[in-house]
Amino acid sequence: MKKEDLMRDPTGYKGDLRERLIRDKIGVWSIVKVTRGNSVYEGVVLPRSEHTAEDYLVVKVDTGYNIGVKITEECTLTEIGYQKGHYHLPEVAVKTKPELPNVSLLGTGGTVASRLDYRTGSVLPAFTPEELFSAVPELMNICNLTPKKIYSILSENFKPEYWVKTAEAILQEFRNGASGVIVGHGTDTMAFTASALSYFLKELAAPIVIVGSQRSSDRPSSDGPMNIINASTIAGYADLAEVVVCMHGNTSDTYNLIHRGTRVRKMHSSRRDAFKTLSDIPLGMIDSHQNISFFKDDVKPRGKIEDTYLDTKIDPKVAILYSYPGWDPEILNSLIDLGYHGVVILGTGLGHVPSDFFPGLQRAQEEEIPVCIVVEPLYGFTNLRVYETGRDMLALGVIEGANMLPSAAYAKMIWTLGHTRNVKEVEKIMTTNIAGEITNREPNSGYLLMQGIEENIKKMTTTLDPNPREHYWGTQADKEKK
Amino acid sequence: MLDPNNISFEKLGFKAGLEVHHQINSKRKLFCHCKPALRTNPPDYLFERKFRPVLGEMGDFDEGMLIEYEKGYRVIYHAYSDCTCLYEQDEQPPFWPDLDAIYSGFELSHWLNCSALVDVAIVARKQYLDGSITTGFQRTLIVARDGWVEVNGKRVKITNLTVEEDAARKLKTENYGRTVYYNLDRLGIPLVEVITDHKDCSNPKDLKKLAEIIGLTLRLSGIGRTGIGSARQDVNISIKGGDRVEIKGVQDLPMLDTLCRREAVRQDMLIHIAKILKEQGFKPDDLEHTYYEITEELPTESIPEGLSVMAIRVPKFNGILGLEIQPGKDFGQDVFEKASLISGILVDHMFHSDELAETAQRKKKDTIPFLISLIDKKIDNKIRKVLYLKDKDAYCLAMGKNSWTIHAMKKIIERLKYAIKGVPQETRRLLPNGNTEFLRVIHGKDRLYPDTDTPALDLDLQKIQHLKEQVKKRPWELEKEFQEKYGLEFEHLQNLVHENRLLEFIHIVNKNSISPKLVYSYLTETMKHLRRKGVDTSKIYLEEIMEDLKNAYSVEKPSIYDYAVAKYLQEKGDKK
Repeated sequence: MKKEDLMRDPTGYKGDLRERLIRDKIGVWSIVKVTRGNSVYEGVVLPRSEHTAEDYLVVKVDTGYNIGVKITEECTLTEIGYQKGHYHLPEVAVKTKPELPNVSLLGTGGTVASRLDYRTGSVLPAFTPEELFSAVPELMNICNLTPKKIYSILSENFKPEYWVKTAEAILQEFRNGASGVIVGHGTDTMAFTASALSYFLKELAAPIVIVGSQRSSDRPSSDGPMNIINASTIAGYADLAEVVVCMHGNTSDTYNLIHRGTRVRKMHSSRRDAFKTLSDIPLGMIDSHQNISFFKDDVKPRGKIEDTYLDTKIDPKVAILYSYPGWDPEILNSLIDLGYHGVVILGTGLGHVPSDFFPGLQRAQEEEIPVCIVVEPLYGFTNLRVYETGRDMLALGVIEGANMLPSAAYAKMIWTLGHTRNVKEVEKIMTTNIAGEITNREPNSGYLLMQGIEENIKKMTTTLDPNPREHYWGTQADKEKK
Repeated sequence: MLDPNNISFEKLGFKAGLEVHHQINSKRKLFCHCKPALRTNPPDYLFERKFRPVLGEMGDFDEGMLIEYEKGYRVIYHAYSDCTCLYEQDEQPPFWPDLDAIYSGFELSHWLNCSALVDVAIVARKQYLDGSITTGFQRTLIVARDGWVEVNGKRVKITNLTVEEDAARKLKTENYGRTVYYNLDRLGIPLVEVITDHKDCSNPKDLKKLAEIIGLTLRLSGIGRTGIGSARQDVNISIKGGDRVEIKGVQDLPMLDTLCRREAVRQDMLIHIAKILKEQGFKPDDLEHTYYEITEELPTESIPEGLSVMAIRVPKFNGILGLEIQPGKDFGQDVFEKASLISGILVDHMFHSDELAETAQRKKKDTIPFLISLIDKKIDNKIRKVLYLKDKDAYCLAMGKNSWTIHAMKKIIERLKYAIKGVPQETRRLLPNGNTEFLRVIHGKDRLYPDTDTPALDLDLQKIQHLKEQVKKRPWELEKEFQEKYGLEFEHLQNLVHENRLLEFIHIVNKNSISPKLVYSYLTETMKHLRRKGVDTSKIYLEEIMEDLKNAYSVEKPSIYDYAVAKYLQEKGDKK
């Protein structure tokens, strides 16, 4: 096909309609006139959404609306012009400012600013520095940001190998002089990546901030811009050398929380403040003026970049199981049959499994497959010594995962098995704290789930940010800062 | 002196149209299951947001959107546990839309003779950065095009009919308009928007009738919600040689006449100003973006701390900024209002050199703005020297925080450069006196893009066809019938519909020989009087009314009104 014809391809259209469009030499971006009965539509042909019926032509009419027109034999269809849509954010000249820290942004598929793919209705990231700075101009005053795309996948399609590649890419950025690294990540499995990176990067000397957006970045109200502004500040300036997740702290655009990578979990399917630290308080927060404050006193400070090294040996043959009433013991057996090397089980309550699982646990023990128990309630510690079931489970060799989150335990098992298959050694590593995934105490404030009926809660929910960020306008603000 | 009451709409080439927004009488909100109810009690919770523009589908930032972004709002929401949920908070994707409301839109398009009904409804997003919608976009779907209504014997085209979610209610602003409060209760209530061709009405009388006809259609069909705030219209006005100006949120129809006159006068004056500028050889490049800090030239002790005064040169504008373009408002103020809204600097903190004259518009006000009271001939001379001004040149001042002031100056220059082109296309706000002021640049098509959260809705085409059977006599058909058959006017029809007595009226006058005028006055005026006396008139049904009318005749009471009052008040007394 010639380039011209390629451009005129009726992208996405199928069946009879596609044939007719090709015959009439009408493609996407053609300006057409469609007559259907008494109605006449004029507009630009858009690539068909994959979710609409086959015989509908989607036309953007002059008012900006998209109209789906059912094309039948009776309709007439004439091309009267051509208009190519193309995305460009206004260009912004990007200059390196020597006084600002260098920060790298590694893109994995999460978006902070984006444009729209109307064919699938999905969102494409804005990713070059020019695009990012024009979408979020505040970044220019915070750091010299270098974006790099390492891959472009939805976070639900992540695999442990990608954690390794990400860790390697991060170390490379530190070696090249980055003061901090931001990882743009889809939010679904962000916490898994955060945990894995926490184990992979040894003697970490600078911040790794994982960030994303809960409300898609193609909307004017997205949380993405504020999240990336705050992540850039932490990466560039915070005296912190840990893997952290930085997302909205509440539903307002007022502050973000800084969560330790091994203690954070996505607790809501769509809210901006979905990310919570479980069984502890967050490391800190960053307010609307980008002031950072830490709440915990064990935050690891920055060190020497030369000391940081990678330990990314992994064995991904690990499964997570969930204990529930009616759970079939064959599920565990089949995992062993499939040759799995390790299992993490979310046990009910303090970590229990039904007693008909004991033969399976025994088989795992005999075949030297470590089984680590974490708690289905997500908050709190395992304790298999309180009830007889638990004591029986311990006798069958299960490992108590203490207060590890399922994501933290899973990533840790993968990492551990990459180093040893010796069950005793695996148990030792799994029960020893490496990166905050196990704490030895749980403060009361680690579990403050408000229910909306508490006395004084209205005061909390109706109190506004006392010190909101002042607005400024583009280049003048730059001048004033200097 | 301008005299808006003495103009010829025909000579001016006046053209107008409407965008009528009317809430649909629905059981739920359009994209969530919250009840469509408005609240006056204190909110259960508050939250705040900021907004940024995103690319439109064809890849451009909408210019109107960029202006919105420059305003830099902090937006605070009042929310309620019982009538707002995570959807209104923009914390979750939409639920499946309320199809009943969408079918109501189709039914209305039959009433309005639309010939092009869509076969598949595509939900689009229309960007709003003013905070009135938490997502930053309004979900809207076009239902039909190409309809018409009849107004005073002429056809007015309906170009588009859409179903969309209503926006949040603005409560107040603070911090020079930079902080905006909204009540979330109204957000998401389904609306129909009926857009008429903005060139089809050539005078305010037709325009008002058009609004009434559409409103009446919504009443007669039962599609519209009733009650305060359920309807509002935007008015599009242009005159010959000008451009389309949209005036938002007109709730009060009697205001339309004043509004049209004052807006027509303003546009006429803007065209006049463009003509003068051309004659004087003005070019947009004569205006430079150079802002002079002149705080020192003023009595510094009177300038509040932390604020500075900046000046710009406005060559060839002497005498033009002071021209009255709407009653009590000169051209300079019209420009300042725009700059003020975008920058946050108060209009009172801006000044133009024509305001030195004793006849200046703002000097006629009860309280003279601070900056005007500060500038006298001596200071004026100093400023003119600093700015190297010639006789025909003017200047503008603004006082405020440095960055805000510069922003204001930038906007003033941009607006003045446009003066040579006459009327800028913009969206304006109606003021209580009937004048208008800048609200935003007119939103273009670039702010529309498809909703990624809702797939295209496959509709029941047969059902849509069947909805045509719901259509009864349209208002203009009834109007004719009223005139020809009953000797009554449109106004009488309107009153009967608003009293919910149209069906009874037609029944009675067709079955009896009672004078239609009498029936009308009984069903409207008498009922109103009875209600005022405390009678629940909604409990007075057709049969009883017929009875009353007959009795009133037979007993030869002085009037049917006295008869009814005597009867129902006595009944009321008996019940006690």
